[in-house]
Amino acid sequence: MTRIWWAQVKSVIRLELKKTFFAKRGLWIYVLAALPVVLYIAYAVAMANQQHQTSRLARRGEKALSYQDLLAAKPGMTKQEITTLLGKPPVTFHWTETRPKGPDSSEEIAHEDYQYSDGLNDLYLGMVNGKVESVRIHEGFNQGQDSFMFAGVFQFFFLRLAIFFGCLGIFMNLFRGEVLDKSLHFYFLAPIRREVLMVGKFLAGLCATCVIFVTSELLQTAAFLWHFNPQAQNTYLYHNHGLEHAAIYVGVTVLACIGYGSFFMVAGMLFKNPILPAAGILIWEGINPFLPSLLKQFSVIYYLKSLCPVEIPVSPGTSPFFALLVSNAEPISSPLAVGGVLIVTAIALLISGVQVRRMEINYTTE
Amino acid sequence: MNDHIIFEDVSKFYGEILGVNKVNLSIPPGITSLVGPNGSGKTTLMNLMTGLVKPSRGRIQVLGYATNDPESLFKIVGYSTQFDAFPKGLTGFQFIYSYLCLAGRDRQEAEGFAWQAIERVNMVEAASRSIGSYSKGMRQRIRLAQALAHNPKVLVLDEPLNGLDPLARAEMIALFRAAAAQGSYVIISSHILHEVDVISDQVILLSNGYVVAEGQIQSVRSEIQEHPAQILIRCDRPRELASKMLASEHILEVCIHNDGRGLLLKTRDADRFYLAMNQLALNGIQVESIAPADDDVLSVYEYLIGNEEVVR
Repeated sequence: MTRIWWAQVKSVIRLELKKTFFAKRGLWIYVLAALPVVLYIAYAVAMANQQHQTSRLARRGEKALSYQDLLAAKPGMTKQEITTLLGKPPVTFHWTETRPKGPDSSEEIAHEDYQYSDGLNDLYLGMVNGKVESVRIHEGFNQGQDSFMFAGVFQFFFLRLAIFFGCLGIFMNLFRGEVLDKSLHFYFLAPIRREVLMVGKFLAGLCATCVIFVTSELLQTAAFLWHFNPQAQNTYLYHNHGLEHAAIYVGVTVLACIGYGSFFMVAGMLFKNPILPAAGILIWEGINPFLPSLLKQFSVIYYLKSLCPVEIPVSPGTSPFFALLVSNAEPISSPLAVGGVLIVTAIALLISGVQVRRMEINYTTE
Repeated sequence: MNDHIIFEDVSKFYGEILGVNKVNLSIPPGITSLVGPNGSGKTTLMNLMTGLVKPSRGRIQVLGYATNDPESLFKIVGYSTQFDAFPKGLTGFQFIYSYLCLAGRDRQEAEGFAWQAIERVNMVEAASRSIGSYSKGMRQRIRLAQALAHNPKVLVLDEPLNGLDPLARAEMIALFRAAAAQGSYVIISSHILHEVDVISDQVILLSNGYVVAEGQIQSVRSEIQEHPAQILIRCDRPRELASKMLASEHILEVCIHNDGRGLLLKTRDADRFYLAMNQLALNGIQVESIAPADDDVLSVYEYLIGNEEVVR
């Protein structure tokens, strides 16, 4: 019997995948999945352009500088000391500021900005009356900062919006779409258990969303690494846990597809209008940080957030509301988080199994 | 009984709307027609029989199988619905083949069965075309092929002759008869009465969700004692015969036929009429033929449900 069920599941998957991948009404899901890739490509192009300018600046400098040379510049140093240390600046800006000194008098302050480069990183010096007042180094490769950016895009766009709505579009249509197309009877007329059909459809939706979003995730990682030079790529991937993080992000993506997919499949069976459950689930997932501990466990994001490899730092001065949204106040261990998503999914699939047995073909009331 | 399709006190309500009410049926093998106007409950009865809708009350069994067990039920049941929608992007062959794969058949077997079914409905040439490009008649035939593909014991066909040209209708009717001759249960719904009249072994007449009569057409007719039977008599002296007939109390109405060579009469008691006819024939009136004029489904149907919609 199990062999027949598996053959039936495979048949359902074959039929559903064809529909899901080539459905015109699903094009927006590809756009949603491609958006972060486009963002990282644009970022990489901008960074490459900036690096090109940085190397040109370094070539124009009087001395070939190292990163250590740039770090040696300190506030309070004189113009003479700077030029001795770093040479004549390749780029300078200067202007004069008139500041009121008393009721009838004013003083003129000479400002100068110097810019140096070691070919990868830029040094910006703000000089006031011949002395260094501000020092700022813009690093060409700031992997730490970039990985926070990646984590932010992943958690706040990819996970909560792209995968969320992508799963909505695919899983909600597994049954609801068939009812609207008046084609569900095709499955209901076959000698197949309704639960087997449900599992087949769920696995088909899972395959489709995983292919779309895991591909997107891998392309995002590739685009994210694109602007690093090979040495920086190597350092990030093999010495700074980059490869491990990439694998975890892929895993979280798959778990998100499983969790949200099961939620939306059952919602598609219970509700005629997808907007209501979608809004409900979106709000439920959104208010998760503010929920009591027990209720938190009935959401997908609660577990996924704990699995994300990079925690986004909260800048000082951030309002407590946003700080709560960003931070993971009650992190749980990875096995518990994975188990949590799978248990939530199992509950949703159980409800789907009961619901699919109750379903009737009555297109006229839809 | 495991060799009948059984409805026991079955009712189906869609919210407050009645689908069918208090249906008790026992459908034997052969061709059974469900006849009734639109909204009379034919499709609901078929959907109940195949588990697509669940009864609000009562119990249904198809040759001993419960209708809430599609895995077992659809091994013996094939249903050609009226729903004119198909899974997107499939060719006629893929439609049948996918259905058989869903049934758990392996690829080779599914392919063989699919081509057999396609051949049975004469769709071989169009089988590799997308169903989206099919005419209404072709879609009807490919649905029939789907219902027939796994050689089911019970064929449930909702308006199966709709959209078919006369030749295709004749072919399909032959197909149904062949299936019935092999002991299958062929349940057909139609409102094209003269067609089911010709092919049915039994009829089930529906009106407003109620079964108003069931059985063989003739026996259904005889059940309706309160309605007069119409009989057409061809004879040489119709006026003389008419006056003699009107003397009998069971004769309600007599009309001379337009051509003056026969008469049409209505009697409350057909048996007494035939006895009386034997007497009259002995009195020298040459009777060429006596034939019931209302043993067809349409007449029975008109009697039973009065002035509601009847489509010829």
